[in-house]
Amino acid sequence: MEPSEICYLTIAETAAALRRKEISPIEITNTLLNRIEAIDGKLHSFITLTADLARQQARQAEQELRSGTDRGLLHGIPIALKDLYMTKGIRTTCHSAVLENWVPAIDATTFTKLREAGAILLGKLGMHEFAFGGPSIDAPFPAVRNPWNIDHIPGGSSSGSGAALAAGLCYGALGSDTGGSIRTPSSHCGIVGIKPTYGRVSRYGVVPLSWSLDHAGPMARSVEDCAILLQAIAGFDAKDAASANVPVPNFHKGLKDGIKGLRVGVPRSGWFDENLGIDPKTETVFNQALDALKSLGAIVTDIDGKPFSLARKANQTILACEAYAYHEKTFQETPMKFGTSVRRRMLEGAFLSAADYLTAQRARAVLNEAIRAHFSHVDVFAVPGAPRPPEAFATMDPNEQNLRPSFTNPFNLTGLPAISVPSGSTEGNLPAGLQIVAPPFAETTALRLAYAYEQATEWHKRRPVL
Amino acid sequence: MDQEEALDSLRKMAERAGLKLSEDELQRLLPGVNRSKKQATELRELVAAGDEPASTFDLATSSRK
Repeated sequence: MEPSEICYLTIAETAAALRRKEISPIEITNTLLNRIEAIDGKLHSFITLTADLARQQARQAEQELRSGTDRGLLHGIPIALKDLYMTKGIRTTCHSAVLENWVPAIDATTFTKLREAGAILLGKLGMHEFAFGGPSIDAPFPAVRNPWNIDHIPGGSSSGSGAALAAGLCYGALGSDTGGSIRTPSSHCGIVGIKPTYGRVSRYGVVPLSWSLDHAGPMARSVEDCAILLQAIAGFDAKDAASANVPVPNFHKGLKDGIKGLRVGVPRSGWFDENLGIDPKTETVFNQALDALKSLGAIVTDIDGKPFSLARKANQTILACEAYAYHEKTFQETPMKFGTSVRRRMLEGAFLSAADYLTAQRARAVLNEAIRAHFSHVDVFAVPGAPRPPEAFATMDPNEQNLRPSFTNPFNLTGLPAISVPSGSTEGNLPAGLQIVAPPFAETTALRLAYAYEQATEWHKRRPVL
Repeated sequence: MDQEEALDSLRKMAERAGLKLSEDELQRLLPGVNRSKKQATELRELVAAGDEPASTFDLATSSRK
């Protein structure tokens, strides 16, 4: 198999090829490390490479698989982590000067689970500083670039995860999502990412941004791969105060059952035209995706978008307060260690009152009920992954995010599972995503619909020219 | 409140919060803080007297791990 083919295999394809002995964990690890060395200089998706560890883990996986010890579909699969997942003995920076040389003493629960499943760690990925603000242009590490056009942002905050997957530098990655940080880079980079239900995946060992909005989740190049990764990391964790003690279903089962008769609600009115509204080309791509869902047998209906639109205000208020509370001491002692973008956004939380915060949490309860009430007559929601194509670095407007509807943060506020799957291209051939949102703990429904759409279209097979 | 008053109020709040912010930085922060405060005010229209916060104390999960 050619290196260019190896780099773009899915996890499912790689797992099958490993068991047929067509490739080996050592071969694929070396192929990916060579590709990272060759092209990541222009993407900056990795902050820290763990090449020695990766080769050691690959040798171990190869020996185990050869001797008949099979730990499952992730055994021998190279992955990478957003650089806010704590890794014992390995630098974890959050893309910030504040933690530039911090080496945690613990592993995140999710990393422990991936390691136990036999996954190979290639390294730690770039992000928006502390998962907030915009691309980190004045941080100690360069801002991550979009593989589809390096003059454009890859979306964030899990920007390195999105870029590395789109560029064929790893097979799977973990991101985190507080207002859209898994789904936005997935949409902008043409890959798949799922934000599971709040409490489904442990946040232990993930540096917090906003305790009540943070979600950990997988990103990959196919829906099936996201299901495989989610299977490995989901489950109750007593070390995470928000972890849900609920059974973990088989995320793979039912993936291919089709979507005939599934009721899809589109919360367009009162939301899509908020402020500047959705970009017209992005809306055309979204409407074409809805047509594809109809042709697969789904029943698409409009629902009231107003509560979704209001969710942004509560989400942003809670996020600013919780993020500032976490970083307060550093802001008091060494504020200039933060980059401009994150400093400006987080400091807003210093000037909101306790009453503001609690009002936002009360509004959250009200909006949660209003949004979830729609599930009495639809099975899922469909919305675009992002309101517009990824911006160019040169013309980036820090206020842009408030001028268009946010299609992601209502689902952090409500904790609902949401997946973004490639759905076409917008201006300049840059990718767009279709987002599917399911009821609490119904990730299997979101995955099933995303899989049906993915298999009926060719968008997930497009690759950037690098 | 005019710009000068708003900046003065921000300066006092920053001091109370133990933040040492330059005048330039306070000026840059002001539009975002005003937007945040406006949003927080708008949220008050959404809630009724009986609405409790989404996060409430839960004795069953209150012990520190």
